[in-house]
Amino acid sequence: MLTVRDVHFGYGGAPVLQGVTLSVRRGDLVGILGPNGSGKTTLLRLMAGALVPQSGQVLLGQQPVGRHARRALARRLAVVPQETHLAFDYSVIEIALMGRYPHLGAFEVEGAADLAIARAALALTGTAHLADRPFDTLSGGEKQRVVIASALAQLADGLTGTPAADLRVGDDAVLLLDEPTASLDIRYQLEVASVLGRLHDERRLTIVLSTHDLRFAASMCATVVLLGRGRVLSAGPPREVLTAERVAELYEIDAGRAAPLLPV
Amino acid sequence: MKAILCLVACVAIGPHVIAPYVIAPYVARDFSPASFQAPRRPQRIVSLVPAVTEMLFAMGAGDQVVGVSSYDRHPPEARTRTRLGALVDPDVERMLALKPDLAVVYGTQSDLISRLERAGVPMFSYEHAGLPDITATIRRLGARVGRADEAGRLASRIERDIEAIGSRVGGRLRPRTALIIGREPGALRGIYASAGLGFLHDMLETAGGEDAFADVGRQNLQVSIEVLLARAPDVILEMHPPEAWTPERIARERTLWRALPALPAVRNDRVYILADDVVLVPGPRVAQGIRLIAETLHPAAFRAGGRTP
Amino acid sequence: MTPLPLRRGLPLVAACFLAMLAAVLAAPFLGSTPIALGRVFDRGIPFADNVDAQIFFIARLPRAAAAALVGGTLAAAGVVFQGLLRNPLATPYTLGVSAGASLGAMVAITFNLMLPLGGVAPASLLGALLAVMVVYGLSTVRHRGFSTTVLLLAGVTLNAFFSALILFVQFIGDFAQTYRALRWLMGDLDVADYTPILTALPLVAAAFAVFAWLARPLNLLSMGADAAATRGIDVGRAERLAFFGASLATGAAVSVGGPIGFIGIIVPHLVRLLVGSDHRLVLPASTFFGAAFLVACDAVARIVLAPIELPVGIVTAVIGGPFFLWLLVRKR
Repeated sequence: MLTVRDVHFGYGGAPVLQGVTLSVRRGDLVGILGPNGSGKTTLLRLMAGALVPQSGQVLLGQQPVGRHARRALARRLAVVPQETHLAFDYSVIEIALMGRYPHLGAFEVEGAADLAIARAALALTGTAHLADRPFDTLSGGEKQRVVIASALAQLADGLTGTPAADLRVGDDAVLLLDEPTASLDIRYQLEVASVLGRLHDERRLTIVLSTHDLRFAASMCATVVLLGRGRVLSAGPPREVLTAERVAELYEIDAGRAAPLLPV
Repeated sequence: MKAILCLVACVAIGPHVIAPYVIAPYVARDFSPASFQAPRRPQRIVSLVPAVTEMLFAMGAGDQVVGVSSYDRHPPEARTRTRLGALVDPDVERMLALKPDLAVVYGTQSDLISRLERAGVPMFSYEHAGLPDITATIRRLGARVGRADEAGRLASRIERDIEAIGSRVGGRLRPRTALIIGREPGALRGIYASAGLGFLHDMLETAGGEDAFADVGRQNLQVSIEVLLARAPDVILEMHPPEAWTPERIARERTLWRALPALPAVRNDRVYILADDVVLVPGPRVAQGIRLIAETLHPAAFRAGGRTP
Repeated sequence: MTPLPLRRGLPLVAACFLAMLAAVLAAPFLGSTPIALGRVFDRGIPFADNVDAQIFFIARLPRAAAAALVGGTLAAAGVVFQGLLRNPLATPYTLGVSAGASLGAMVAITFNLMLPLGGVAPASLLGALLAVMVVYGLSTVRHRGFSTTVLLLAGVTLNAFFSALILFVQFIGDFAQTYRALRWLMGDLDVADYTPILTALPLVAAAFAVFAWLARPLNLLSMGADAAATRGIDVGRAERLAFFGASLATGAAVSVGGPIGFIGIIVPHLVRLLVGSDHRLVLPASTFFGAAFLVACDAVARIVLAPIELPVGIVTAVIGGPFFLWLLVRKR
């Protein structure tokens, strides 16, 4: 569904990604693993259409990402950045509601349905009780979960099921997350991992995330892509990909020192 | 930390406090004629005050003047002297290069005064004030530059001329006059008027007009539209330096006042613009200035009969 | 179910609107000269003789209208600049527009320029336009995109440069011109008639149309340019519209009343304390509140030392300065 084909990209003169190819199928949970500076964030931005590759293509469906109409693309593809800093104070429910903007006309205001979707999204990530709290007063883990909820509200096209209204997300929706657990304590890492896991298992949501945490990638992702110095070193299920040699090559350390790092 | 701050404060402020007591004995702070060994007839006078420059030339001391301000226009010979800046930007170096034996400065130019004191230049201090001070200054100046007799005659003549004008307009109804000394070009905004104090106010009163803002008691006042309407002046008299005021411009700017038809001055078409520095310089031509204003306010009084000699 | 946060803020916006109406309607009745209500509206007295009516309709009413226009515009421009630069400390003057407007005015005062439509206003509007073009040019010359960081640098640089030019122009003027120039810089809403207001109105109206469209994009932009882009906003277009709309509105406001300070920063802050940060509430509420605030400040400026008028910029500074200190002290 989401295909990266031989993409090259660099900022200014220095190349960051060189000939990256990977493909994400519907319902996949893909983890892009690599050390800092390997180009993970850049790859995600290219996949989201925020950057244009210097050569190669990024396709969503049959079309290049950049060719999709902005709002239509936003209804299908949502990005959760590593950190969210607000210039002004918004409440949690307002942040969630901002996910609904791509569904509204130019001067249209959110309706009751949008509010219900936003609340359902918050409930899904276990943050419904924080709805009226200012975003800045939340803990790191709570903030991440709220931003995930906002992204879900963005992808949702309605509610299903009665009496408990539940979020309905289209089959072709994609959620991109940039280092979702990087700055979080273990406890919050587990919270976020659990939310993502449920979303993938229960709803078959297509998820692509980047991380430098081996164990997180191994435990969460059905497919792991090793990205080192802007190149794909290997891609596949964690068991196959995460060998001592590959990990050593990725992190540029001795194979011997890599072994203890491997997840059991 | 606090100790350092105190030390810095002492070092910064201390010298300014101590200096007057240390330096003063070596510099005479009183520059009145008595304390300086000033020449009886200075030959190299520099003047930053256009009014005083005019006085010097009018009392025959023009040949003793070597430097004038950037704004001196009258008399024409004054323009041939070296230009030295003015109130805000006096050129001290140029002044000193002329080796003056008398410097005419504004009383408020304290920086300049202390520098000239250190250089040992005798000074004549001037401040803007009322109409009577003009002739008083002429006399004082005359004594200072060794032209006491000519100065006396000049002052007396001016006083007689002023009296003559006064008697011509005396007894006539005094129109309430807004004396406008500045405003934004092309609009009725930022209007400044004389407000009861200073030589402009005195000139107006002598010329037979009543200052519409006399009660405020300031040299000038920024006047809002509301205050103008409330005071309802019978005459609007704008006075500007002559630069850039062509007759076309005068006509154009006069029509701006039509925006306020409610003013008696506008209704009766008594809006005048005088673009002549004779009304703006408190110098020896002040009588001509007063006469110009008087003729504007009371044209009937000057129609019959010849000009005052 | 509890209502939308947006709905909850509407009564406050309405209250700000009423405050603006009240201020504009009350201001002409207040002033240094006592006037009798009965006489003002007495049709029996011919207008030419009715001083009370003249003061009300010629001196005070246009002034209240000018204050409302300038106050509302500066407040709204402040909100938009803060959203564009993603910084609550941004003001309408941060990017150099008012420095350009002031330079235009200084040049007109010092060189006695006589432009059509009279006075200093058109010259200051031209100065504002020049500043806007220079800042925009500087911020796009080496970057294909429109970078707000470079914009900020360009604006701050231009501010410094134009301020130096302003000082230079004042220096070469004579004493009277310098004094007039300084007074212009302190702000003056004493418009004699509606001409300056009507001249500024088209620009201001166009700017507000843009602001109405910008409200939602500004919400998203406060999460960051990338976050806004991934939610469907054309960030480049939104930022350009915000820059030009707010700059031209500021230029128009400054050309009417001079660079009156503090409104563009106090009012948005106060309003955010009341209605939250949703720009769809903050923009209208700030506009109305800013208008009311400046009308009130101008009334104080005219009355407190009558017949001497305090420059209105001093009143806004005296209120704004301490308020700002209080804001800094109370936060976190």
